[in-house]
Amino acid sequence: MLEITNIHKSFGENEILKGVDLKIDKGDVVVILGPSGSGKTTLLRCINFLEKADQGHAVFGDIDVSLRTASKKVIHGIRQKIAFVFQNYNLFTNKTALENVTEGLVIGRKIAKAEAYEIGKKALDKVGLSEKYDAYPSELSGGQQQRVGIARAVALNPDIILFDEPTSALDPELVGEVLTVMKQIAKEGTTMLVVTHEMSFAKDVANKVIFMDAGVIVEEGSPKEIFVNPKEERTKKFLKRVLPEDYIFYI
Amino acid sequence: MEKYFDLAYIAESVPLLVPFLKVTLMVTGLSVLFGSILGFILAIMKLGNSKIAKKFAYGYTTILRCTPSIVLLFLTYYGIPAIAGNFGINLNDIDKAVFVVITFSLQFAAAMSEVIRSSLESIDRGQFEAAVSVGLSHTQAYRRIILPQAFVVALPNFGNSLLELMKEGSLAYTIGLIDIMGKAELIIAGNYNTHALEIYLALAVIYWTLSIVIEKLFLKLEKAFSKGKQVITTA
Repeated sequence: MLEITNIHKSFGENEILKGVDLKIDKGDVVVILGPSGSGKTTLLRCINFLEKADQGHAVFGDIDVSLRTASKKVIHGIRQKIAFVFQNYNLFTNKTALENVTEGLVIGRKIAKAEAYEIGKKALDKVGLSEKYDAYPSELSGGQQQRVGIARAVALNPDIILFDEPTSALDPELVGEVLTVMKQIAKEGTTMLVVTHEMSFAKDVANKVIFMDAGVIVEEGSPKEIFVNPKEERTKKFLKRVLPEDYIFYI
Repeated sequence: MEKYFDLAYIAESVPLLVPFLKVTLMVTGLSVLFGSILGFILAIMKLGNSKIAKKFAYGYTTILRCTPSIVLLFLTYYGIPAIAGNFGINLNDIDKAVFVVITFSLQFAAAMSEVIRSSLESIDRGQFEAAVSVGLSHTQAYRRIILPQAFVVALPNFGNSLLELMKEGSLAYTIGLIDIMGKAELIIAGNYNTHALEIYLALAVIYWTLSIVIEKLFLKLEKAFSKGKQVITTA
């Protein structure tokens, strides 16, 4: 459904992505792991054109486009099919939870307001925020804000949702509620590409795990292949650092 | 013998001055309107990608902010007709208010360009990214998400600049504009320069009233537009 080939991206002298290929099929839940600075977030941002890649190609459904030279119109078209969940939520602070969710429907997609509100309410119900339709982001906790962020993405009924470290800005006790929502929408068959440091999510929910380091994909495979039998030395080292000693036994 | 200081003069002169508030308010209003438009354009130039536009906008701001109002007023009042005269255009009969409005529009634009630039930059870029990622165009993202929030941020500074402009505007009497300041000077001259203190006090009272009204108005506006903004309450 989405196939990306040979993405390169530099910021000044600093080459962040050094030729990454990525293929995602419908219904896939793909988790990207890797140390900070390895280019995970930049990869996600290039897919959604929040950063312009220096080189690279994307085939998305029937759209076939260069990531470097895509026109505004094509970018707009692709963004209609890809939703993004941000690390810092990035909710519209001048709008209520419900307005946050419906903004893209009403303004971006020209769906009638009444209908958009129905869709928006359903999305907020799904993430457990039925009581908070009219709350402004400043009145919500971090976990609730991120759930609004997820509802905003889900309501668009996109072909794929990109998650950029959705729990990294949260207090530890709030991480659970967001992961629960993510697991639930994964179960419903949503195609997801997730950058995260939550190993439990990768292990329990992903059907494919990608390990990135220094701008390249080092290794990819099923969670079992990556966590139990990592082949590459760099993967082993990373896992040893981030996982508790006896973790492997429980897989 | 007549008293040197007589409160009756204050009561007497206020009704004489008030009709000329019209001129003060008109000059202020027009300068705010034109100055804001020009200031917005300058702010866009400062935030844009063109290096030349950026240099120009910042250069303009520096020069205008470093020119005392009264100097700028004389420069436009004597300079513009002189330049026009070189091209055979006679601007000597033009209403003085026009030069006042030009002067203060130019000056207000410099202040506003900074107010608008900083308010736009204060809104986290992430919200713009979120807006385009849910399918809004760049224009829609600015109009619906960024500008309404930047507007609230800009309001207090805008109000501040407006009060400043209104007070500086009183300098227009030096080129002969009859606003409330100009009228006060005329009243004093009519009294053979006696009782000037009372007249200036009357003038001060009018400016105070006007300023308080504007201040209150801006606080109300800020409150009205601050929906969703973090409310910090201190015990």
